[in-house]
Amino acid sequence: MDNPIKVKIESNADLLLLRPLDVFVRQLVQQIPAFADHPSEVDGIELAFNEAYTNVSRHAYKGRDTKGPISIGILIHLDRIEICLEDYGISFDPAQAKTPNLDEPREGGLGVWFIKKFMDQAIYNSSDGKNVLLMMKRFPKS
Amino acid sequence: MEIEKKDGITIITTDERLDAVVAPKLKDTVKKIAEETATKLIIDLEKTKFIDSSGCGALVASLRTLIKNQGDMKIARPSPQAQTLFQLTRLHRVFEIYEDMDQAIKSFS
Repeated sequence: MDNPIKVKIESNADLLLLRPLDVFVRQLVQQIPAFADHPSEVDGIELAFNEAYTNVSRHAYKGRDTKGPISIGILIHLDRIEICLEDYGISFDPAQAKTPNLDEPREGGLGVWFIKKFMDQAIYNSSDGKNVLLMMKRFPKS
Repeated sequence: MEIEKKDGITIITTDERLDAVVAPKLKDTVKKIAEETATKLIIDLEKTKFIDSSGCGALVASLRTLIKNQGDMKIARPSPQAQTLFQLTRLHRVFEIYEDMDQAIKSFS
């Protein structure tokens, strides 16, 4: 039976915590045997988490000196990892995150695209003032 | 982030991470450097193991700033992770990228 390993981190979505949390996620994924020979997949998960956290800090809590709360939940199942970010800031319309026109170099707007590109699933929901992004990555087959 | 000048070329060596924390600083630094007309700039990514969309955006903004002032920018020694993102975003077609620092310097002559 799948009894996932659970991690929960509660903090304010300050950019000060971006790097320590990125490193934590990276090292956690590196501990999963299935990712041992897949460094680019580890890079991808770290990047997806980084982009998701940065979006909450920069956009959901835009203009706030003291950033609002963020809850980070990580579940390590037998065959996949799930990373869930919850915040209470400005919600985001996923419909606006269109595929970027890569023939025009962009200074922004690639974060959500990276998340979709590097994770197997990314679902965003917003209701009752709470925004939830659930990202999932299946373990690579060796 | 370290800045040095060598034979009329400015070299910015970025830190281990080029992310949302340092992207604004890189953009501001390049803006100041680009005030001088026809600035030759190399961004050396040798130490940078991780780059995100903010880092990519800062590099695009830097190139635009320099071109606006008749300058030019080359990128040297990107990590495999950076190369993956450049390929994915097609920025490898926008940036002049060199795996070797000497080649990057010579490209300005």
